[in-house]
Amino acid sequence: MLLPILLALHAAEDDTELVARMQRRDPQALAELYDRYGRLVYSLILRVVRDTGIAEDLVQETFLRVWNRVAGFDAQKGSMGPWLLAVARNRAIDYLRSAGGRERNSVEFEENDHPALYGDMEKDILSSDKARRVKSAIEKLSPNQRQVIELAYFEGLSQTEMAQRMGQPLGTVKTWVRTALKNLRDELGAVVTA
Amino acid sequence: MTCEELRDQYELYAIGVAEEPERSEIRQHLNRGCEVCMTGMKRAREVGAILGGTAAPAAPSPKLRRRILASAGFEPKHFGWSPFLGLALALSLFAVVYFYGRERDTNGEVARLRGQVREQTIDLTRMNEAFAILTGADTTVTSFGQGQPAPPKGKIFVSRSQGVLLIASNLPPAPSGKAYEMWVIPKGGKPVPAGIFQSESNGTAMHIQRGPVDANADLVAVTVEDQAGAAQPTSQPLFAASVRGLLP
Repeated sequence: MLLPILLALHAAEDDTELVARMQRRDPQALAELYDRYGRLVYSLILRVVRDTGIAEDLVQETFLRVWNRVAGFDAQKGSMGPWLLAVARNRAIDYLRSAGGRERNSVEFEENDHPALYGDMEKDILSSDKARRVKSAIEKLSPNQRQVIELAYFEGLSQTEMAQRMGQPLGTVKTWVRTALKNLRDELGAVVTA
Repeated sequence: MTCEELRDQYELYAIGVAEEPERSEIRQHLNRGCEVCMTGMKRAREVGAILGGTAAPAAPSPKLRRRILASAGFEPKHFGWSPFLGLALALSLFAVVYFYGRERDTNGEVARLRGQVREQTIDLTRMNEAFAILTGADTTVTSFGQGQPAPPKGKIFVSRSQGVLLIASNLPPAPSGKAYEMWVIPKGGKPVPAGIFQSESNGTAMHIQRGPVDANADLVAVTVEDQAGAAQPTSQPLFAASVRGLLP
């Protein structure tokens, strides 16, 4: 479960130089970015769309999007990993929503695509220590709490859509979401600020 | 709505699944520079980033890397080592003209020429990566399969900062639908996938896994897996080499 994160170990410390080279439009830098994060991005997208061909198309879109928008990224303030993952997830959820005839929440998506929002994130946000702690935090959730988190993050469902999918009252789903997020926030609070 | 009332919605907003009226309320708070909501949103995005890394590991096809680079305009002229590439181009041109000069279909020749140049470019890139590991200040080397007649033999170069380079011989082509997969196994930990590769028809192979190497790496091993790769080994290692104590 944690291997993708472990693959990104120590990569962040070198992102500054890599981003600078990408901003100078050095194609070899794009190759190195893919070598560092390609498997991580593919794993996330495949988890969402569950189709290897579509996942590869979306990975390509993700890296091209980052390549074309990297000028707005301040490498001195953060690493590429969180931004890449956000763009990747957005591509995948957008595909799911289009395929399912659902509307996308364009405002949030556009915000998440904006690299500057990820510039002030700490450089080792994807470190192995944090990976172990997030695994522990997720394992502590109840099955219902874990399911609503996964439906929200990996399928892009709103609470109303979750209630329909799970056949549960909206109030019940909201309670699960609220409790799950509180538990995650409590567990991860130390992680993201450590 | 107050920031306290919106607090439970930060993560949902950050991943694009918040609903009305909370979505509009959070947007208004952010637009007017509400420090509480901006701090909360930053943490929510960090939680989202960490969650994104919890998907089960999977490996894309090796062709995807090439596809992405090609679609981004990965052309020889963009390289910093253009003299070498120029030489490669010249050699490629010569080779293609020499071997395929008799072909009547000019369009076919051009297509082959382009393919040859592209392959040459990829080979040069790989050689450049291998050279970086071989010449790394922190590179160490270990051998495997020595003293045995039939099994694969070779060397593994490990650079803590640059990655792992595997050079092998006596490695027959993998069965149809299968490929070799390299693993870096930390002491007391699970094997970490380090890329899939194929051997040449003459039994030689070179595989490079770029990127920093875990300081706790204990073994480098190779197994036979499906072409798409595996998240964890599904067969006994074909060979393994200890790198324990080699990394600084």
